[in-house]
Amino acid sequence: MVNSKRAGGLVFLVAGVYGLILSLYLPMGKWNEPGAGAFPLIVSILLCLSGLFIFVRARVRDVAAWRDILKRQWIPFQIVLFTAGFIVGLERLGYLLTACLYAFALLFLVSRYRFWVALGLAVLIGAGSWLVFGKLFATPLPQGVLSL
Amino acid sequence: MDVFQNLASGFATALTLKNLYLAFIGCLWGTVVGVLPGIGPVAGITLLIPATYGLDATGAIIMMAGIYYGAMYGGSTTSILMNIPGESASVITCLDGYQMALKGRGGAALFIAAFGSWVGGTLSIVGLMLMAPILADFATKFGPPEMFSIYLLAFILLSSLGHDFFTTMPVVLLGLLLASVGMDPLTGVIRFTHGVKHLYDGLGFVPVAMGAFGMGEILAATQESAEGREVQKVRLRDLLPTREEFEASVGPILRGSGIGFFVGLLPGSAHIVSSFLSYLVEKRVSKHPEEFGKGAIEGVAGPETANNAASGAAMIPFLGLGIPTGPPAAVMMIALLIHGIRPGPLFISEQPGVFWGLIASMYIGNVILLVLNLPLVSVFVNLLRVPFRLLFPIILLVCLVGTFTVNLDTFELIVLLGAGIFGYAFRSWGFEIAPLVLAMILGPAAEISFRQSLMRSAGSFAIFWESPIALTLIGASGCLLAWNIYRSLPTQPEEA
Repeated sequence: MVNSKRAGGLVFLVAGVYGLILSLYLPMGKWNEPGAGAFPLIVSILLCLSGLFIFVRARVRDVAAWRDILKRQWIPFQIVLFTAGFIVGLERLGYLLTACLYAFALLFLVSRYRFWVALGLAVLIGAGSWLVFGKLFATPLPQGVLSL
Repeated sequence: MDVFQNLASGFATALTLKNLYLAFIGCLWGTVVGVLPGIGPVAGITLLIPATYGLDATGAIIMMAGIYYGAMYGGSTTSILMNIPGESASVITCLDGYQMALKGRGGAALFIAAFGSWVGGTLSIVGLMLMAPILADFATKFGPPEMFSIYLLAFILLSSLGHDFFTTMPVVLLGLLLASVGMDPLTGVIRFTHGVKHLYDGLGFVPVAMGAFGMGEILAATQESAEGREVQKVRLRDLLPTREEFEASVGPILRGSGIGFFVGLLPGSAHIVSSFLSYLVEKRVSKHPEEFGKGAIEGVAGPETANNAASGAAMIPFLGLGIPTGPPAAVMMIALLIHGIRPGPLFISEQPGVFWGLIASMYIGNVILLVLNLPLVSVFVNLLRVPFRLLFPIILLVCLVGTFTVNLDTFELIVLLGAGIFGYAFRSWGFEIAPLVLAMILGPAAEISFRQSLMRSAGSFAIFWESPIALTLIGASGCLLAWNIYRSLPTQPEEA
């Protein structure tokens, strides 16, 4: 059954269990000298309890809402996908080319600009940011295949 | 006399050409950020973090503070002229501000909003100037048990001021757990890194803040669209309010200053809470409450004053105790940490030039904003014609390259992406993301003070109630926790 609060509660519960298990492998020390694992252990236990509380307290909604929810996530999903592509391509292709491609993907496929408009804007935005950060701020941006 | 001497030296710092320029840039960018829906002051400050790398600490904080209260000024413009809040603290201004614009009194509403913001902002800076040094001086007497009890109270207050304590508290706890990633500050033990060397220094505040506030906000904003809304026109000569409107605004402005100042001292979204509270108070004390929601000038004057007063007051615990009580202060803290400065009890005594330079700059910035927001209102309104679908790729690119420039490490972009996904997911699920970042910033210091307290007391928890200050603060935390539990109890159903 889909429910946003239950999803959140599950995230907290899983994070709490993860923290709890890994904390047990850390040195706990003694009460007069708490070790590295003591504070994360306390926080993890509280996180497990609060995550479980949210999960149990959340009310169940109609399953049919799944489709509407997934439809609304299409644009954010695209943005995340293209951002992942930017990260992967940054060191290999260099900043200038990757920024232009990233901006083009967002403008053409997400913002739905026409092809040539998106291309022109992408070059403007990519090159503009390269000039500002790479030249004006003198940041050593990756050069990649174009060596720019 | 000491205060005035320090203030004079602060003005000497703030009135240099470079710092005046930075204050102007901060105020201008803050106003733009406040006007544009979809980008809040937090994202606005976060986006400019990379621009501060080449600045000294004084210049960096002057610019960031300018953005912070500039956004409070700018947010009222779209609220009044388009019925769209430019940022969350201006939501309540939509109720009466837009109605005034429909009646042809939009200019007067803008003037009163700007004037009230100036009064509230200036009075809160006076309070900041007087209270922060006293608070910091008092806090230098604090030891680890007192500091831990302050952090505990801060975490519980943070959780309380979300719309639901039990949905905000786990966000704070998650932030504390994420703060544990990396090297333990006391023993050097590596925690939760799974052998990834990039994580030895922790997750990094900048990628998490950029992701959660920058990218997360963009992902959420793509679901809404402010384009295509009508903008009410305003002429320069219509800006002045009538004598009656001005007289009716005096009381709300003074009350809003007080409300905003005291609410601003509390952790959470104080600028939002203060504006709502001010509106409720004005409606309660008004002789004509039926006019609220239909264009009552008091409904603009009070809230806009309150949110600016809260912004100034929020700097008191931030600078005096080192506890950022809201997301904008948290991001400012990140910028200062990058410059090797940690706000806290020793900040004012060790860095008086930075503190008093900032105070003086805030006085100057408030005047700059008053000048910017009135004659240039039509310029800012034209910004709204820039479609969001063109803006957001630029903002995302700035987030990415800005994060990359911190350590020139692609791994931090992965952290940014993860934080962006979490920030968006949390927003969609009805959880607040700001407490997570705040907890990440305060977590290491809270853990150190907790462990040092137990080391001092040879493992005895009595150290937390042997100190009167720690006992009082822990007692306050306990009362607040109990009140939140009571508030969450289900109410009895009404009888038919």
